[in-house]
Amino acid sequence: MRLLLLLSIAGFVGITNAQDLATQVRNLEAKGSGAAARDLLAEAVRNAPTDPVSLSFYAEFLDRHGDPAAREAYAKLLGLLEKSGGDRKQTARRLVILDLLHGDRTAAATHLAAYRNVGGQDLGAAIPQAKPRTSGQEWTTIEIPGPLRSFNRMAALSPDLPSEEILPALARNVVTNGYQAANSSEGLEQTEFLKLVVRYLTQARELAKLAGDARKIQIDQCESAITGDLLKILGYRMRGACGAEVVLETVNASRAFLTIDSGFPLAELETALRSNRPFSYPFASTTVPILYTAEYWLGAKEKVQGEFIDAFLSDPQLCRLYLGVSKLDRETADKMKASIPVVRLKAFSHVLDFFGGMFYIRDGKAVVPGGPKAEAIWAELAGASPADPAAFFERLVAKDDGWLCSYFDSISRISGPVQEFLTQPARLRRYYGAVKGRLTSPGPARPVFRANTDLLLLTTRLRLDPDGSAHVPGNVEIWKNLFVKHPHGKYDGKLTKSAVGWKESDDVIEALFALSRKAVENEPLRIYMALSDMNRRRAKPLLPATVDRLAREYRTFGAQYPVLNETPRLTDETIQAYLDLLTAEASIRDQGVRADAAGTLQALVSFWQIFLRQGSIPEADADKVFNQITSPFGKVKNERDVFAAGLDGVKTLLAATKSRPDVSPQDRMLDLLAGFDDEMESEAHIALVQDLMKVFEAQRLVSLKAIIDLADHLDAIGKGGKVDPAIIARVSQRLADVQLPRAGLSGVEKNSLLFGYYAERHIENQRKLNLRAAIEKAAGNPERLSEIKGSLAPLLRDTLVGLNYAHYAPPGAQILYTNPIFVRSHDFLGMQGANQTWRHTEVVGTGWPASAGGRLVGSLVSLSYALAEAEQNFLIPSREQALIWGDLVPQMVQSAKVPRYWEVTPNQLHFTALHLRYADALLGEASLNESLRTRVIETLQQQAPPARARLVGRLLADGEISKALENVTPSEAFVLAMRLVGTEGLGDQDLAGEIRRLTKSAPESVNYAAISKLFGSPKPTLTNSYQPELLYLRTFPTLMGYSSRVMAESWESSALFYASVADALYMNPGQLNVVIPEWTRSTVERIFATHLEDWPALLRSLRQVGHDAVNKRTKVASAAGLE
Amino acid sequence: MKSLRSIVALGFGLATFAGTGVYLLAQDSSRPTFRVKVDMVVLGFTVTDSKGRYVNGLKPSDFRILEDGIVQKLNTFAEGNKPVMQVLDDGSMKPLNPGGDAEKAGPDVKSDAFVGTNVFVLFDTSNYMYRGFVYASDAIADFVRGLDRADSVAVYTFSRNLTRAADLTKDRNNAILGLRKAVAGDDAALYNGLLLTLRDAAKVPGRKVVIVFSNGPDNASMVAPDDVRAVAEDEGIPIYVISTAEASRDAISAGVFKRIATRTGGKAYFAKTWQKQVEAFESIREDLGNSYTVTYYPQTNPNDGFRKISVEIAGDIGKKYRVRARPGYRPSRGF
Repeated sequence: MRLLLLLSIAGFVGITNAQDLATQVRNLEAKGSGAAARDLLAEAVRNAPTDPVSLSFYAEFLDRHGDPAAREAYAKLLGLLEKSGGDRKQTARRLVILDLLHGDRTAAATHLAAYRNVGGQDLGAAIPQAKPRTSGQEWTTIEIPGPLRSFNRMAALSPDLPSEEILPALARNVVTNGYQAANSSEGLEQTEFLKLVVRYLTQARELAKLAGDARKIQIDQCESAITGDLLKILGYRMRGACGAEVVLETVNASRAFLTIDSGFPLAELETALRSNRPFSYPFASTTVPILYTAEYWLGAKEKVQGEFIDAFLSDPQLCRLYLGVSKLDRETADKMKASIPVVRLKAFSHVLDFFGGMFYIRDGKAVVPGGPKAEAIWAELAGASPADPAAFFERLVAKDDGWLCSYFDSISRISGPVQEFLTQPARLRRYYGAVKGRLTSPGPARPVFRANTDLLLLTTRLRLDPDGSAHVPGNVEIWKNLFVKHPHGKYDGKLTKSAVGWKESDDVIEALFALSRKAVENEPLRIYMALSDMNRRRAKPLLPATVDRLAREYRTFGAQYPVLNETPRLTDETIQAYLDLLTAEASIRDQGVRADAAGTLQALVSFWQIFLRQGSIPEADADKVFNQITSPFGKVKNERDVFAAGLDGVKTLLAATKSRPDVSPQDRMLDLLAGFDDEMESEAHIALVQDLMKVFEAQRLVSLKAIIDLADHLDAIGKGGKVDPAIIARVSQRLADVQLPRAGLSGVEKNSLLFGYYAERHIENQRKLNLRAAIEKAAGNPERLSEIKGSLAPLLRDTLVGLNYAHYAPPGAQILYTNPIFVRSHDFLGMQGANQTWRHTEVVGTGWPASAGGRLVGSLVSLSYALAEAEQNFLIPSREQALIWGDLVPQMVQSAKVPRYWEVTPNQLHFTALHLRYADALLGEASLNESLRTRVIETLQQQAPPARARLVGRLLADGEISKALENVTPSEAFVLAMRLVGTEGLGDQDLAGEIRRLTKSAPESVNYAAISKLFGSPKPTLTNSYQPELLYLRTFPTLMGYSSRVMAESWESSALFYASVADALYMNPGQLNVVIPEWTRSTVERIFATHLEDWPALLRSLRQVGHDAVNKRTKVASAAGLE
Repeated sequence: MKSLRSIVALGFGLATFAGTGVYLLAQDSSRPTFRVKVDMVVLGFTVTDSKGRYVNGLKPSDFRILEDGIVQKLNTFAEGNKPVMQVLDDGSMKPLNPGGDAEKAGPDVKSDAFVGTNVFVLFDTSNYMYRGFVYASDAIADFVRGLDRADSVAVYTFSRNLTRAADLTKDRNNAILGLRKAVAGDDAALYNGLLLTLRDAAKVPGRKVVIVFSNGPDNASMVAPDDVRAVAEDEGIPIYVISTAEASRDAISAGVFKRIATRTGGKAYFAKTWQKQVEAFESIREDLGNSYTVTYYPQTNPNDGFRKISVEIAGDIGKKYRVRARPGYRPSRGF
């Protein structure tokens, strides 16, 4: 738009040139040559430094790509336009926003004045004054002894926490880690963690006393009197006289531990004493903001001893109350505080903590899910009207031990037709009746983590049929039978009885709601979610017979359903046949053959999944190819059959991926796994092939070609051909490299556990295989040669399994490079009796020095996650005391390895990045425009909890845009842009216009469905599929049972953010395949989180990695070998 | 595909220790796999007499180094922390110019390649060390202070993950500063941490050792001790272990420690008390100061698997002396 304005004042020739330039730039961008486009524009500016058209074009280009140089270019342009008398309104306007985004308020004020001077009206008169976030009347302060840094270390708090987050974070740590059941009584006792915090406070007070009014520990010389006093408090003493020989050594271990653990500068003190130089250490108490007043909170306690911090730490329920209230939207919290005595509120602190986050008051009324038409029913359920918000929320938290509040929370978190469906009065009442049951105790907020996981999953994943009823896979009869005849025992006695009378979908959903309150495994819900997800993408839903079988066999084969959900093209017949096959495999009596058959089959199926995802196998062929690779395994009886079926599968896959007949199968497989680009010659492709080869080599696997050559050669010998020692040697030499597991297990241990017994036998058999001798002994007998071919089955299995391992190898891949038999050790059978062949992939054997190291057990279905899980402890946090999250990290790594980006077009990449930039611009403008701010915050609130959305609004009103951005995740920003970009005249029109232009230029590829597939993450727990997608969910809390895995899957920001970074670096989309795993590793290594739900910590790390990558563009590119 | 293969070859060649990797046979003809031979072997060893006293003052001509029975020609020779000498064809020595090769250190770790020893201290800060944490910290600090001036030292800590508390430095204060900032952790992934430490140490040219200070138990490692030991063996990095646990209380860990130390040319100490820990560190320091370090380029050897190293002392005196060295290594594959 700005360009058009400028063009209008340029002459005809100028227009033509500018249009040529624009066309060239667009073409280059569309080809993925953004850097060349930038250079072209820069050259145009250099050639015509006083030409505002070129400069404008250049600045806008940089801006669209998030290039930090955009600001400078706009500033130059503004100067040029001032001189030439051109229209500078839009340029000044954009500069104001960019200045604010960069936190440069002074420049923003200058440019705002310039904007207003030329008639700009919509951005307000002045840049708002920044205020501390705790400047409101609701905030006061408390004192914590000693420096904040030390307290943070002791209390396991991230030093990056904003000051107002310190007490909530501390409260959370006290609630989750501070207390445990006492051995001697029914009460609670402090854990070692909390005892240390309390002891530290005592030490800090002693040090503060020593520091005196000067608030500084000062030692002028080694021999001063204070030295001894200080060392006594610290638990150290001097060894040797003052001077160069002095050494500090522990004299009181408890105190010394606190000294070290709290980060007291002991080494500096020692250096000062040795050199007899003064030692000075500021030691003041820390002032920490507290919501309301200390007195308010202490009002909830009967007795108060010591300072606030002592009372706080000694009362986990008070901590929980503080935590709960701090999660509330501020207006809601104020209302509740005014109306409900703190002592009463404290009684429901656990409910408030888990389920109060969605409370919100608008226009004086409590906002309820379902809106005004659902208010009456909520009033009926709670026993108070939403029109009296304080009373309503009070009743809500108090009702039914928290079940009603949990129900309210689950439905508040969703929106759209499903929320409408669930909040229809009759249904809302009916389903709540099921959730509540007869006995409400124990409530869902009793444990340390929420126990309403299933409720949340059910409401999130429920889907409706076109007729508006809840989707029930198959039909109601199937579900009725499942509950009545229940293949593995009753799910619930009452439901078994009531199921007899079920007639409609609501009956089934009601039963699922009823089961959602149970603390035990909720298998029907898992089955419902799996089958519902399978139907979600299918043109025709699964037939009732298929649903029936899948439901009944869920316990045995349920882990494999994501395979069947890889594509909606698998027919019912194929699914039934596959289940037949899995059943038949279990009947193979020879354990070795069974393991080889399962491993080979699973490896082939996994290739099929990968090739489908990467587009190497067309969707239209998915069913046919799946049948072709799986059906030969139905006839497997011995190793010869396994080998033949495996080899057929490889050939089928090569043919399905349009491989040339003369190509080396090994080379082709590596190319296919690395990913499909046009020429397979890009540097990104080569880098991935290298990585695959490194793993393959480290695992001493035999190449596919060598195996196939040998098999062909055996056939030839059987037909009278001559023995070629070279062909045999290629396999034999490799096998000679295979080592036995380096284990220290005794025979008794092995036999008693049967742990990995068959995996070890599998390796041992390969080592014993003397091909040369066997072939000579066979003396050309075709039957015996065929048996030798069968002995290659374990080798083929390892090669195929190993290629899968290589494909999903996490960045670093220490375990794959260090343990040369890691692949061969994969245990497809599991412990005796466990029957893990078709279960999820699991990591076992860690932390057991007597074993041969950790290994993977089970099927290959969740290999990507298991490998990431195995690798996570090899990540090296860049900061001390950083918390690596047990479930989040594997999910993040998996999300970096499963999706591939070969099919992303430059326009799709740019389109995605533009959304994040447009959202930033919206937030920036919202800071200066109140009506826009209201609109933006309302939209944001559909993704972010009310308290955070309100905080963002406040920060924007204060002009603190960069701080506001710290509270908006990239996925929230993307959704914000997606929802508002269609509104004419809203936000930056250049960015919005570019988004619309891209959509218009290629609507079939530049659209939200495509972006979801390309930049989404795999969510096997939430969607029962490894197909990447964006669900645009609110970020989940930590959930009981699933730990943080579901929570981790709800984080959808990483790939979107990395896309914007790559766009700012003018990368070709294919390079994402190389950089995203590396950026992911860096992001994880930099996370410094305080607790499991500390999303801001992850966000900070993500932004830091992006910032560094943009700032070190050249270094990054060369390190990745991309330039 | 031609360009792909050439880049693959180049990439792996560059990953080798000295940059002149040779890539060998492929399993099939169409795409080369990579097996890269080690260019230079660094071998440290100590010589003691029948009473366990260190024997000093031996010359290159007093030794014969054999790999799989093949006599090797020495490239450099050093005793303790004395300057490294180049061994000439006639067996005589001349001082080595520490330019050139010393520049080939890894990108993250800097060290004077041919002067002193690069000591990597790996400190267990897991829950298992909770009681002895501060005493261990004191003992390590004493050890760091007492290192020879020519030595460099890095302090790493581990719990579930590794932390680089102090990168390799000659500045003792920096190392102690890092050490004193260590925080107590939770689970113990000793062998994971040891592996990562070895990977860092392997990037540093010259002589290096890893000293593990741990209570012993490991409840979180993914790698097996012997796989880690194999890495140390192949990289020529002796591992010294000081365990605060009594051997009898944790027989498995004790056995592993002994095996790891012995097979890499290091030593294992079981030092429950602070005094014993100090003595253990003193012993390690003595070991470092009294060891010999030689480098050589291996003679042609078709064995791509484990190559057995033996150090023989020429003449009759050799019969009275005991040599402690790593038993062998596997040629590097360039990871």
